[in-house]
Amino acid sequence: MIRKLVMALLCSIGVLQVYGQNLSGTVLNERSEAIPYVKITVKSNNKPFLADGKGFFQVSVTDLTNEVLIFSAMGYQKQEVPVAGKTNLTVVLQELSQDTKDVVVVGYGTSKTKELTGATSKVKGEDIEKMNMTRMDQALQGQVSGVTVSSNSGSPGGSSNIRIRGLSTFGDNDPLILVDGVVYDSEGLNALNPSDIKSINVLKDATAGIYGVRAANGVIIVETKNGAINRKPSIEYNGYYGIQQTARKLDLLTAEEYAVIKNEAFAFGGQAMPFANTNLGTGTNWQDSVFSSAPVQSHNLSLSGGTLNTRYSIGLGYFNQEGIVGADKANFGRYNARLNFSTDMSEKLKLNSVLLFSSDMRSTLPENGIGSVLYNTINAFPNDPVYTSPGTFSYMEEVSDIINPIAQMMNQYNWSTANKFVGKEEFIYEFNENLSFTNRFNYNYANVDSKVFSPLVWYGEGKYANTAINADLESPEVEIADSVFIERGAAVYEERSTFLDLTYESFLNYDKTWNDIHKVKGTLGVSVFERKGQSLNGIAFGIPNNSLDYADISANTAQGGFLNNVNSWEFKERLLSAFMRAEYAYKEKYLVSGILRRDGSSKFGPNSRWGLFPTISGGWLLSEEDFFKSKSIDYLKLRMSYGVSGNDQIPNFAYRALLNGEGVYVFDDLITQGVAIGRPANPDLKWETTRQFNVGIDLTWLKVLNFTTNYFIKNTNDLLFQPDVSALLGSYGPGGYPPIINAGDVSNKGWEFEVAYQSDRKNLLQTNLNFNFTTINNKVVSVPAGVQYIPGAAFSVGGDVATRFQEGYEIGYFFGYQTAGVFQTQEEIDNAAVVQEGAQPGDLIFVDQNGDGKINFSDDSDKTNLGSAIPDFTMGFAFNFKLHGFDLSGNVYAALGQEIIRNYERQQPYANQLAYVIDRWTGPGSTNEHPRLTTGPTNNNLFSDYFVEDGSFVRLRNLQFGYTVPSTVLRKIHVESLRIYVAANNLITLTRYMGFDPDLSSSNALSAGVDYGMYPQARSLMSGLQIKF
Amino acid sequence: MKKLIYVLLALVTIVTLPSCEKFLSVDPPYAQDAENFFQTPEDFDRALTGAYDLLQSSFISLWIGEIASDNAIAGGESVNDSKGLHDIDNMTHGGVNVELRNVFRWNYTGITRANYILENQDNIDFAGKAHILAEAKFLRAYYYFELVKFFGDVPLIIDKRIGIEEARNIARSPKAEVYAQIEADLIAAAAVLNPVAAQKGRATRGAAKSLLGKVYLYQNKFTEAAAILEEVIASGQYSLYQDYSTLFSVAAEGNPETIFDIEYTGLEGGSYGCLICLEGNAAVGFQGIRQYTGPVYGDGNSYNLPTAELYAAFSPIDPRRAATVLDIEAFIAAQPNPASITYAIGAGGHTGYYNNKYIKRQGEIGLPDNDLTSPVNYRVLRYADVLLMAAEANYQIGNASRATQLVNQIRQRAGIPGASVNNIEKVYLERRLELSGEGLRFFDLVRTGQAAQYIPGFVTGKHELFPIPQVEIDLAGGNWTQNPGY
Repeated sequence: MIRKLVMALLCSIGVLQVYGQNLSGTVLNERSEAIPYVKITVKSNNKPFLADGKGFFQVSVTDLTNEVLIFSAMGYQKQEVPVAGKTNLTVVLQELSQDTKDVVVVGYGTSKTKELTGATSKVKGEDIEKMNMTRMDQALQGQVSGVTVSSNSGSPGGSSNIRIRGLSTFGDNDPLILVDGVVYDSEGLNALNPSDIKSINVLKDATAGIYGVRAANGVIIVETKNGAINRKPSIEYNGYYGIQQTARKLDLLTAEEYAVIKNEAFAFGGQAMPFANTNLGTGTNWQDSVFSSAPVQSHNLSLSGGTLNTRYSIGLGYFNQEGIVGADKANFGRYNARLNFSTDMSEKLKLNSVLLFSSDMRSTLPENGIGSVLYNTINAFPNDPVYTSPGTFSYMEEVSDIINPIAQMMNQYNWSTANKFVGKEEFIYEFNENLSFTNRFNYNYANVDSKVFSPLVWYGEGKYANTAINADLESPEVEIADSVFIERGAAVYEERSTFLDLTYESFLNYDKTWNDIHKVKGTLGVSVFERKGQSLNGIAFGIPNNSLDYADISANTAQGGFLNNVNSWEFKERLLSAFMRAEYAYKEKYLVSGILRRDGSSKFGPNSRWGLFPTISGGWLLSEEDFFKSKSIDYLKLRMSYGVSGNDQIPNFAYRALLNGEGVYVFDDLITQGVAIGRPANPDLKWETTRQFNVGIDLTWLKVLNFTTNYFIKNTNDLLFQPDVSALLGSYGPGGYPPIINAGDVSNKGWEFEVAYQSDRKNLLQTNLNFNFTTINNKVVSVPAGVQYIPGAAFSVGGDVATRFQEGYEIGYFFGYQTAGVFQTQEEIDNAAVVQEGAQPGDLIFVDQNGDGKINFSDDSDKTNLGSAIPDFTMGFAFNFKLHGFDLSGNVYAALGQEIIRNYERQQPYANQLAYVIDRWTGPGSTNEHPRLTTGPTNNNLFSDYFVEDGSFVRLRNLQFGYTVPSTVLRKIHVESLRIYVAANNLITLTRYMGFDPDLSSSNALSAGVDYGMYPQARSLMSGLQIKF
Repeated sequence: MKKLIYVLLALVTIVTLPSCEKFLSVDPPYAQDAENFFQTPEDFDRALTGAYDLLQSSFISLWIGEIASDNAIAGGESVNDSKGLHDIDNMTHGGVNVELRNVFRWNYTGITRANYILENQDNIDFAGKAHILAEAKFLRAYYYFELVKFFGDVPLIIDKRIGIEEARNIARSPKAEVYAQIEADLIAAAAVLNPVAAQKGRATRGAAKSLLGKVYLYQNKFTEAAAILEEVIASGQYSLYQDYSTLFSVAAEGNPETIFDIEYTGLEGGSYGCLICLEGNAAVGFQGIRQYTGPVYGDGNSYNLPTAELYAAFSPIDPRRAATVLDIEAFIAAQPNPASITYAIGAGGHTGYYNNKYIKRQGEIGLPDNDLTSPVNYRVLRYADVLLMAAEANYQIGNASRATQLVNQIRQRAGIPGASVNNIEKVYLERRLELSGEGLRFFDLVRTGQAAQYIPGFVTGKHELFPIPQVEIDLAGGNWTQNPGY
């Protein structure tokens, strides 16, 4: 019955229309240009329709006198126009002002830039896409102030560290990254196609506190591209192809130099000189063999558009990058598919749906560590050939710890694939224009498979990496029971992990202005989050034929399954939250905002599961005041915020003691599994708390220059820590760890400065300049009671701890001996005011820090602060010029004032060395910089500032030159736009650092500046094409 | 009005959220919790295996016992390679020493694991519980004995685990109290333990008594020591293995001379990242010949290298010299094709000698990294040691003839003429000749008051004890007084 009634009603509307009167018209902008595809709604019956591409419309109206038409188009103010009896209308829509269009996503809602009271930075998708980078984090480097991005590895698919306003904790410093509302961790960013990004908003200050217990490291909100209403479908292709090379090779000794230097070192060490003949020429340049040029390519195809009620954007992407070391052994490939779909299900109910699929595959080589390919490359002897005979690698037999890097690469089979589905279904119900109710459901399913095939390999006698027992690749035998031996053979390790995140969020948004004076905005909602993960892994021995073709657990031939080993893990975590935000603006002049979030997290014990995170912020638009009479300053705002947020990035169940330690012993000659406590319990465990104060100024000068500056003080307390505890707790056995506790404080203070210049749109030469500058003062304020410092990375092999987390210093500062030149003569040593035991002429002079008149080598009393990996300043500069269809753009990043520990030199008698050793001390007066070389006992190899280098660098990250073909030409071939370009990444790097790449970091803050032979970022030359139909 | 409703709604949501506590109590899937364990006999048994595990950290005691003495130097890749050992070698060690800290940490971990069992001993009753508790006590005594040997007074924690706060307020117990606890544990264990191990590797009655004998000897309780050690001898269970030169091979494991071995296997791979996680004996590979290519031996890291002085201490006719110390150049020269044999010298020091008892040999390899995964057991308590301890104790209580008798059993097995023990020095020397390279020398020198005489740089009144790692003093609230002289 009801259906019939509705049908009848619908019919009657149609009938009415047929018998109505015709009304036609045109929609124009202020410059009298037609606006295409404007949505027009007849107010009396609420029926929408579209104007055509030339702005013309025609409609049948029953009551010409009283009817009202509502015009809406993106980028224009909505306008209601009374027909007032006319049959032909010319409607002019007002363009939205720039500050109205500038909308920033602030979490559970948006805000106009003008109304913002927090410190945020926005990056447009095109600025990310233009960088031609593999990952979003790399492309973010240098784009905004306050955000420091440094590379963990330059290998394809290698991650970077994003640090918002410095290092605030000992543990996990990663910000919360939300892609369309779904949490992406640093590893997971491999799945995100930078070309799919519409915008990135970085919440830097306490206003990120709307995300509560996860907000302390800042929040990055990424939105993917969507379509636009009333747009005809457009197809766009965007791709590039490039060739990459290493930007630098190290200056190593040639074979002849090597022989001369080693002879001298052996002689100094009282040993026979190893090379009777030093006339060996240049020898093998291992770097030339290890580095190769490698292709990189990216292809993206997208389809987007919209109808009256629906917007859509579909994307397909393919990316592949080979490594400049290892080619396909260090490869990253990715397929992406994306569907963004929005529709008005009814006048009041809207649906936003996002589905992202990705499949990526990464293969890796051992990198950035002792024994990595580049570490071996640097230390390999130049007098040994790559091959001793065709197909037989040289063994470099003099040193067991260095293997032939080419052979090493050949025998690495290590890859992982990740398949990921990410999605969002969001329903927004608009009660009226002031109040909306959003319910959304996010999901993230990831399946990660990895495989490592370890064939039988012989690298030479005594080499650490041998898996075979001789050059004939015979397998070692293992006794599995009394006198029962089986062959171990080749091995394969496989792991399959799945992760599932589910989020449900429900919130109300309220926005109303009274009399153009009082504006009130409110957000109120709840969020429920669950993450599950599980993994099954196994290792199988006895893979047949030593062949990759059988590299699967199922192929193993180990009798009775002996040696084959399986393992698994599983976790679950939950977060339950309620949040509210209230904003009030008086005459768009005085702004106040308050945020309150309550989080309950399963990561913490019952004693402190719930946390409350308040933030308050305010703004004052001085330029709106009557007394403000500057002609040059168009806009001036003062902002301030203070608030509390948390960090919960610790492993699950850390508050309770689990029997996950290792308790294994050998009874009856067989490995017997027992149990042991892994990590002692801490029922009082809670989140770490960050209190942040921010004061900022936004200013626009002569409509072309935008300045933003912020000063912040960020104090983090109750650090989630796993500091050393007393041995009496018994947590230092196998598989044992100290408990995670809340202790220690860190402070970050700094200021940020951004300036943007945009030339007048009328100019022939369009110029865009952006500069940003950040300086952060990082300091550890306190460490856990009884702990003097937390030790970090070790120097050299089995050497002293070189980095520390210690009160009064930067996180991970370097700690070692300070040097003051080189002892020239025995007389100088004898007469020195400070006794340096064991010193000989040519040895480094160490500085007596504690003033006791001698250098103490058995304790730390003469060691001191030798710098840190934290830059004093970071800067980003981007430029973009356009003239007559030509465009030139570039992006420069600079990090100044950080230090790097040169830790890729193996302190072995036969290891090759960098050419600086040619300038070694050879006799009195020869040099006061480089010590003598000797194979004998010496303190010159202790960690000192001799091994610390200035890591400052300035890098031209991206340079691009493009040409856009004029549309007059294109129209004839039905192409909307066409741009071709050439680009170069990492074209120029200015640095005094000797290693491969000064952009060097680690996710572990205490290993950040330690260089083990970093896999460098490639220099690439690319050409690309952007075409739109 | 509407606004008021929403504000109320907000308050209600925020206030009612705690009722969702249940939603947040997530239990770790399929994992066992430390607080609800010990429900079955198997639980006890598995926890006991965990307590045995720390015995495998013995390599550190073996090294320090030799390197600190006149028997060996530290060796290795450079003077910074395990710098703590080089400091000990030079008698320049102080409160910052990674190796000593490891000794402190690992033994307390073993104690904690044994205490974890004893803390829960009343949970359930079952047949065999008494034996498990006795094994736990034996292990606790073993670990405390290590600590008291190295550090003297140490905090005594019995039958419980402690937290961070408690650790900050705990005092060092006097050495005598620690020894009393060790004796009590061993006496209790000896009363229950099987005379013959049900499984190879488990503590036995003989092991508990032998260790107790050693503990008495370290306190100069010669009467008690003689009595308990004579009990071990009188049991008739043990005898000397005839071929001294193969005594330390995998093939000879479980021979009648074995009283207690720390068990190792080559069946599990391992890496340098976690030496304590190994199931193989790290000492063996570490003590191997650096980059050696040739017959008989495998490659190693040239640690713990015997001194020329030790070599010279042996009579040339004593077969134990070759069995204990490998003279590398002489060995190579004796091979059929000496020119093909190569090895390297580490910058951490070179003496030309290697520890021939625990050394990487071909045929005794393990899964990668083979340097770390030797299956060779560490002979912690062997019958020869018991005989020599008994000889010493007997001599000290005036029974020189018994001492002579016991020492000559040792000399006879070695294949050298007997001698009359008319001087305690002769027992001491025999101990050195018989037990060198086994990690006992430094502690023997200290307890017999001879250390200053033999060890260059040894300061009487200081070096008898190692310093408590300074960081452990700090972590324990900073209230402990450092050992004298440091």
